[in-house]
Amino acid sequence: MSAQKSRTYRDSEIVDFVIVGSGAAGGVMARELSRAGLSVVVLEQGPRPDIASFEHDEMKYSYLGGLSNDAVKNPQTFRDDPAKKAELQKFRPALWYGRGVGGASLHYTANFWRLHEIDFKERSVLGAIPGTGFADWPITYQDLEPYYTKVDWEIGVSGLAGVDPLDPPRSKPYPMPPLPVKSSGVLLERGARKLGLHPVPAPLAINSELYRGRPGCIHCGFCHSFACEVTAKASTLTTVIPEAEATGRCEVRPDSYVARIETNAQGRTTGVAYYDGRRGVGGAAGNGARERFQKARAVVVCANGAETPRLLLNSSNPRFPQGLANSSGVVGKYLMFNYNSRALGLFEHELNEHKSVQVSRIVMDFYNADPKRGFYGGGGLDARMGPQPTAWAIRTAGEGPAWGSEFKSRLREFTHSMHIAGHTTSLAVESNNITLDPDVKDAWGLPAMRVTYKDHPDDLATARFLQDRGVEILEAAGAARVTRAPITGSKFSVHLLGTCRMGNDPAASVIDKFHRSHDVPNLFICDGSSLVTSGRGQPTMTIQALAFRAGEHIAGFAKRGEI
Amino acid sequence: MDDLSRRALLQAIAAALGVAALPSGWTGIVDAAVADEKFSFFNASEAADVEAVAAQIIPTDDTPGAREAGVIVFIDRALATFLSHLADDYRAGFADFQASFRKWRPGAGPFASLNSDQQIEFLKTVDRTPFFESTRLLTLLGMFTMPKYGGNRDGIGWKLLGFEHQASFQAPFGFYDRDYPGFAADSERTR
Repeated sequence: MSAQKSRTYRDSEIVDFVIVGSGAAGGVMARELSRAGLSVVVLEQGPRPDIASFEHDEMKYSYLGGLSNDAVKNPQTFRDDPAKKAELQKFRPALWYGRGVGGASLHYTANFWRLHEIDFKERSVLGAIPGTGFADWPITYQDLEPYYTKVDWEIGVSGLAGVDPLDPPRSKPYPMPPLPVKSSGVLLERGARKLGLHPVPAPLAINSELYRGRPGCIHCGFCHSFACEVTAKASTLTTVIPEAEATGRCEVRPDSYVARIETNAQGRTTGVAYYDGRRGVGGAAGNGARERFQKARAVVVCANGAETPRLLLNSSNPRFPQGLANSSGVVGKYLMFNYNSRALGLFEHELNEHKSVQVSRIVMDFYNADPKRGFYGGGGLDARMGPQPTAWAIRTAGEGPAWGSEFKSRLREFTHSMHIAGHTTSLAVESNNITLDPDVKDAWGLPAMRVTYKDHPDDLATARFLQDRGVEILEAAGAARVTRAPITGSKFSVHLLGTCRMGNDPAASVIDKFHRSHDVPNLFICDGSSLVTSGRGQPTMTIQALAFRAGEHIAGFAKRGEI
Repeated sequence: MDDLSRRALLQAIAAALGVAALPSGWTGIVDAAVADEKFSFFNASEAADVEAVAAQIIPTDDTPGAREAGVIVFIDRALATFLSHLADDYRAGFADFQASFRKWRPGAGPFASLNSDQQIEFLKTVDRTPFFESTRLLTLLGMFTMPKYGGNRDGIGWKLLGFEHQASFQAPFGFYDRDYPGFAADSERTR
């Protein structure tokens, strides 16, 4: 896919929309707005990757920031207690996200689960949970269903409809059949059925056959943390972004690191100040980047659940001293991760989980919360393994003997092993949040991100509950040995949710149900930060459905002069 | 499965996984290669100590370990270049390690000069320290990432796991999906 034919704009031209971020949400937003006849500039902090360069290099992508945020240039600090001083995360950022045109849709695992009807109204059904910001969404599953279907068909999701008794209603089947089952999927089916559960094929944004010009999967095994060199795995770089550019109204500007959103005396945004890493030397940042300003009639922030609140906080000015769109004070708050528990099974014969997509079968029987358990929470189970060698080794060291002969023997169980992962709800807790670090600055001189996070006790109880179910399934499937990964507090996440929550009450939320910020009428926000509750572990499908829905509404506002 | 049959199964798996192909003559080749290596971050005695620690993390037995995979070459190169932002902390941790070692056995030669049992005995006293944990992380990176970064010589790490580094695969992928009849929804569904 090439970018050279797309439209370009000058900074001085007032475009209809600047979109900050080109990931799962930003890419969809760019296509929806440009197709509606509006002029769009997308600013992406990372480069535009060359698809032909994608390789199976764990060092590059998992530890050297090849397609993700860089712990050195864009540092983060982390603490699990607001009373502590947050520590700089030198090896890997605490919140890991995609950096580059396509964002995290380049390196995600592509599990595309819809939320269920209950997710949108769980607070009303179950009641309040003291000490949390547990809340209903201002929209329902029915509001979002057409857009979930849009993701299925326009991004491309493979799966099998009509077989999961717990699946929410869907207006159309999947456009592609599921990918081939893996040994872990067969074993999950075997164990789960013995226990009376309902394993089903996993829905994935990975082509099982040629679809919309992209080929079927070649089963290389490098989905999780890697970009797909054959484009079988959907990314916005290979789907909606070229479609946006083809309208002749959308420019995607890579290497553009947004510093702040500016506002005028009327409290409206006028555009976005950013550092252009592509040209010139001697800018204010002192790292070769030059500050520029793109004028726009409106701004849509799709920078992910970590960078979106940081940008709003870094955009404070005398009129908005708490940060932009933050009269409620909840920008950055209610960060949610989805805990991931693991039960590891060793089997007599080889599974070779390093081959093909990461997940082929899931179990949704424990999706709903059940007050009888004594804690809030539910989740989904899937059969998978950290399939790459280094990921396996690091994980193994954390789950048993961590060095020496016995560790080496465990490492050698690679081809005979699988995990059942339990993906949990995470409760919205005010003290789990993104703030600006008081000391640390990024390479552009801007305050760095400070992450404060401690799993709610119910999230960890849910993780233990789902791990127990995973253990039972592995035993029922005939595992020779089952091991539990220790359930400790989260210190790392790739699910960055809830930090600019949607709601009807401007005093308790950041955006309304159409993603317009309550405070700044021409500022919109759409990404993982919009989620009110965490769902059960696989957020990208919902983020993209929200982006399709928001894009349609925002385009409507623009055309009706309601921006 | 009862405990006895589970134990028998575990033993059978261990036996099957133990039969990894040994490259012929690998010990001599590797010793020569490491001896010739010019280190950038470490001096020779530091490199010997760190390599000895790595070799206790993934020891050499009937199959090659961290030493033969050239993990020390990876660690040296990483700290000098692509992971240089971790170098100061690593050096500070290394100094703590050496201080603990001198306290543990005053007047002893370098850590690398101890026999394996003694090394293990000492490492058990420091295996929760930042230095040990960093060295383990670097050892695993050096063992299992691509050989172009300096470690995983001849794919020794990948062979240990049974990982095949190839561009694509075809179903069936493993034993259990070989004769899969196709997905059939559970007919006894009651929900």
